Amino acid sequence: MGKITLPPSGLAEDVLCEMDSQPGELQLVTFTIGEHYGVPISQVQEIIRVGTVTKVPNSLSYMEGVINLRGRILPVLNLRKRLQLQVKDLTKESRIIVVETGNKTIGLLVDAVSHVIKVSSESIEKAPEEVLEIDSDYITGVCKLRNDLVILIDLERLIRRENIEIREEDAASPLARGMKPEGEERL
Amino acid sequence: MDYNELIRDYLDDAAGHLNDFDVALLSFEKNGMNRDLIQNVLGSLHTLKGNSGMMGFDAIKRYVHKIEELLKKVLDGEIELSGAVEVLFESAHVIRGALHEIEKERTLRSDLGEKILDIERFMSGSAPGPGREEVELTSYLGTKTDTIKVDFKKLDDLLNLVGELVIFKTRLNQMGEKIKTEIVTKPLANELNGALESMGKTISGLQEGIMKARMLPVRHVFNKFPRMVRDLSRSMGKEMKLLFEGEDTEIDKTVIDALDEPLLHMIRNAVDHGIETPGERIAKGKGREGRIVLSASQESNHVVITVKDDGKGIDFRSVMDEGVKRGLVAQDETPDNETVLSLIFSAGFSTRQEATEVSGRGVGLDVVSKNIAKLNGFVDVASTPEEGTTFTIKLPLSLAIIPALMVEAEGEVYAMPMSAVDESIKAKDEDIHVINNREVIRFRNTVLPVIRLNSFLGVGKKRRKKFYLVVIGKADKRLAVAVDRLRGQQDIVIKPLDDTLGKSYGIAGASILGDGRIVLIVDIMSIYRKREVAENG
Repeated sequence: MGKITLPPSGLAEDVLCEMDSQPGELQLVTFTIGEHYGVPISQVQEIIRVGTVTKVPNSLSYMEGVINLRGRILPVLNLRKRLQLQVKDLTKESRIIVVETGNKTIGLLVDAVSHVIKVSSESIEKAPEEVLEIDSDYITGVCKLRNDLVILIDLERLIRRENIEIREEDAASPLARGMKPEGEERL
Repeated sequence: MDYNELIRDYLDDAAGHLNDFDVALLSFEKNGMNRDLIQNVLGSLHTLKGNSGMMGFDAIKRYVHKIEELLKKVLDGEIELSGAVEVLFESAHVIRGALHEIEKERTLRSDLGEKILDIERFMSGSAPGPGREEVELTSYLGTKTDTIKVDFKKLDDLLNLVGELVIFKTRLNQMGEKIKTEIVTKPLANELNGALESMGKTISGLQEGIMKARMLPVRHVFNKFPRMVRDLSRSMGKEMKLLFEGEDTEIDKTVIDALDEPLLHMIRNAVDHGIETPGERIAKGKGREGRIVLSASQESNHVVITVKDDGKGIDFRSVMDEGVKRGLVAQDETPDNETVLSLIFSAGFSTRQEATEVSGRGVGLDVVSKNIAKLNGFVDVASTPEEGTTFTIKLPLSLAIIPALMVEAEGEVYAMPMSAVDESIKAKDEDIHVINNREVIRFRNTVLPVIRLNSFLGVGKKRRKKFYLVVIGKADKRLAVAVDRLRGQQDIVIKPLDDTLGKSYGIAGASILGDGRIVLIVDIMSIYRKREVAENG
């Protein structure tokens, strides 16, 4: 099991592109928000320091805002808020992990980024529900290391869930609330 | 479009079809019969025939028709392709010659009668085919074209690059300003500013050029409707004409693409609810036939599109009743007509007793206003009983780069599309009056409702002694948006916000400023809706 420590800057681009994966092996970028979590390296585009995040009024409560990543405007999701963990202030270690999932690119705000690790696909187990602090819906599994446990985040589900919530919220907008006529027809 | 331009378009198009014909003939000669290819050629020829007829070149139209006949006989197996190929090659020459004449003389004198007879004789088997046509060698080159087809994606990419340039330009200008104040070596600073200015002009020229290249006449979207109006009105036993005005007005293709659905809803509403049946119209002393006028015009940086019918107008009473029923208006309230009309843009609004198979009154108009807001536009309605209803859409000419007024609220900068802004004025706290719990301001003999941008967006409630009011909208539907500071006008590149953020009510998009900061674009339509909610609930 290989383990690469990220440079102190946390800017992992160089490390990210050097890693190549073998069959049956999974590479994870691990980070902390209290516990240790991980996302597959294939979904990570880059890791950046937290610069100016522009708040967007009336957006979902766990959305931190938007950032300018070289001319692209990316939404940033506060992972602590998303997973309903206790909110923590930003520190020097705070990072935004830019991930790609489906056709979306979004930033995940985390406390700190730790390592890139190689694990065998077999070492990933189903999440034992009782020991977890967070909703097991967002978890693809856990990976037991020698003296550590890495929880694998299911990014697709994290985002897909959001879409459903947006639709629900739309339906409950002040104008739409209680105003849908019966047998409404639209061309 | 003048006649010469039409001829040029026609010749461009014809040259393309003729070329397809030639290529197909060469393939027939080499590889023999190919039914699909014949079908394709028939398609090309058919378009050529239609265009020729439209341009009044009847000789070419009749001649092409003969070629079509011949090809159909080949398809049906009545005539061997191998025998006909020579005749077909000659026919291509004949057309080429005719086009050549049109290009030079702007008209076609020959009626091609002899040539048509040649083909007829060949088809009836009485002649081996027309004799060899003497052709000028240069006619093989066909007509020269001034038009090229470009994948829209390429233009889009170019515009994106120009968008980045505009951002860099703003950034350089800001640096230039700084340098002017900080550097003592005046000549150098002046030189830099001179260079920046020239570059700015070039970039503006480039931006304008690319935006123009992306423009299409609004006719492209207008033309989608005559058939729909015809079919709908027939099914309802109504008679009406759909007229166009200013259909040559050019707007960005992305705007054109986004316009069709809103227009569809509005025109359908006019057909269904506006225009009366012939019987009703005659009883009212109106002409038997209703009129719907679709018009487009350009006003500085935006385009105005109206859908106007001369029908019965919107029934204020039943809209009001429905508004009360839906809890949008209190029973005892007597809002002015403007406010009543604005109700029809509420979600799913419909006065049921009037709902028909085609549409319920107002249904879909909330979609219209939402879609227009997405384009940073603005939709308005005016109606006079028995005289008709007019919907007005105001849109930026381009979706990508728009002029915006930069304003500040609670320390954040926001952009307001200039297409919505009427003017901006300085105001003091004591200018604001409170009527019925709502803030208003007296402005040039009218009273305008005041919306505070910070509390509207929910970002703060701070009130300043001195502030600015941005007047938006037009006519008597105006209102004033209170902001802390004005930061000037600037071209901004619109980028949509990702939907993972949620609804972000009140925000239409975002843009990146010269210094890399993100500025959010205020959704003007939502301010109106908010006002309605506030007034009605």
